[in-house]
Amino acid sequence: MAPSIETNGLTKTFASVLAVDHLSLEVMEGEVFGLLGPNGAGKTTTIRMLACLLSPSEGSGKIAGHDVVKNASRVREIVGILTENPSLYERLTAYENMDFFAEAYNLSNPQEKQNRIRALLEFLNLWERRNDRVAKFSRGMKQKLAIARALVHNPPILFLDEPTTGLDPESAKGIRDLIESLSRYEKHTILLSTHHLEDAEKLCNRVMIINKGKSVVVGTPEELRDRIADEPVLKVTLTKLDNRIIDAVRGLEHVRRVSIDDSSTGLIITVDDTKSVTPEVVRSIVRADGMILSVNVLRPTLEDAYLKLVKEERT
Amino acid sequence: MIAIPFMFSVLLPTLIIVLPGLATAPESSSGGLGTMINSLPSNVRNELAGMTDQQVLVYIMSLYFFAPFFLIIPLMASSVIASDSFAGEKERKTIEALLATPISDSELFLGKTLVSFIPSMIVTVFSYLIYLTVINMASFKVFSGKLLLPNLTWIMLIVGLAPTLALASIGLAVMISARVKGFREAQQINGILLIPILALVFGQISGATILGPIMVAVLIGVFALIDISVFSVGIRMFKREEILSRLT
Repeated sequence: MAPSIETNGLTKTFASVLAVDHLSLEVMEGEVFGLLGPNGAGKTTTIRMLACLLSPSEGSGKIAGHDVVKNASRVREIVGILTENPSLYERLTAYENMDFFAEAYNLSNPQEKQNRIRALLEFLNLWERRNDRVAKFSRGMKQKLAIARALVHNPPILFLDEPTTGLDPESAKGIRDLIESLSRYEKHTILLSTHHLEDAEKLCNRVMIINKGKSVVVGTPEELRDRIADEPVLKVTLTKLDNRIIDAVRGLEHVRRVSIDDSSTGLIITVDDTKSVTPEVVRSIVRADGMILSVNVLRPTLEDAYLKLVKEERT
Repeated sequence: MIAIPFMFSVLLPTLIIVLPGLATAPESSSGGLGTMINSLPSNVRNELAGMTDQQVLVYIMSLYFFAPFFLIIPLMASSVIASDSFAGEKERKTIEALLATPISDSELFLGKTLVSFIPSMIVTVFSYLIYLTVINMASFKVFSGKLLLPNLTWIMLIVGLAPTLALASIGLAVMISARVKGFREAQQINGILLIPILALVFGQISGATILGPIMVAVLIGVFALIDISVFSVGIRMFKREEILSRLT
């Protein structure tokens, strides 16, 4: 199966500034792919090149097999873009904004256009506010409307540039849920640029960490966490902790280190392999009359992975 | 957009032509026009033969003096919208979504031009109709029932010269708007486009140029050629990337 989004050595230089440096990626159909990186990493420039807003200085980009330079017009027809700013006409109503962009995307059949706009505004709970000027909308509502606008021509591929930036936690969650349902139910291929690790962790099948325009690493959030994880660690929380329990755990064959956590009732146990050792640990604690409240495998978060990998890249 | 057309179609004609024209004419009523009349071409001076001073005043001012001002109206009316076309969208950060649509470069350029051209021409034609009414009210009285407008020169001016001139000016203004960062910068540069028209106004007052049918026809031809050049160069120079790279 050919990738929906493909770049090969994609590069962009502004005067003497190298914004994107030989970036190569492949995003498969229906995948949510995250571009993760600090401000100025080149995420927006990459999206702008793929949306035919900027032309690459070097390398190539293809969307559903169409070259972003040679076949820009076709690419624009099949992608929807949520830009860094909502980019909405504030003096127009929500419906008028949608209508304008529907026309711009060649939805000329009035009935089809009307149905599509209605379906999207209802899906995003904006139908009741369709006749209100966008200037009266909250930031979250504007962002929702901008996503609706990006979807008005039902594009198979969506570029979302920082979709939750500047939103309050509730609105950000609303947008995340929306992106999740677009991916799950409408099967859009989504390229998501973000520096919010929560977005990447919850939404992306795969992420690419980029820094200074270069790819640092690509993989699933799981793979990135594993990449920086040194040794598997278990955390067992008990009602009460005593030396008998600690000695029982220390005596197990595949346990390397045991320490007590800040609460004084939890054991931090470094093991060879969590899958095989966890049952043994639980059994030994129970035999030593320990009362277990919870057992967790401590793994580095995507944030840990991101910070470590970006730091490594900088040094 | 309203003040300038009102000034040229109602206020100034009333103050300069209607009120003095309808009042009892003093002996020296055409004295102030002396320079202009003396520098008029002989064929225009012949038109004035046998007219009273009061009639000369109304005739010259109505048909010749105000003509170039009606070329300023479409420029002033369009300058705000044309300057705002791309520069305003950059300032309001709405340009990126527009540029991401499959609308072609030429469609974008022509669309932005028409958005300025249509209202400016509506204002110009509407202003002309008001001017025509005001002037004819004066001429009806002064020329004993004769209506001075419309005449061939004015029809060519409003239907031919004003649109071709407006298109050239708007095309240039849209090109400038696409290449600067903000609305103010675009409007300041676009102000320069008024200079040739102001030259025409002063030329008309001094008698150096007179907008007769031949002169207007020549100017229509010249501006039609300028329009073609502006649009072909404008579309060729129109680059989405440059617009985006000048975002504030």
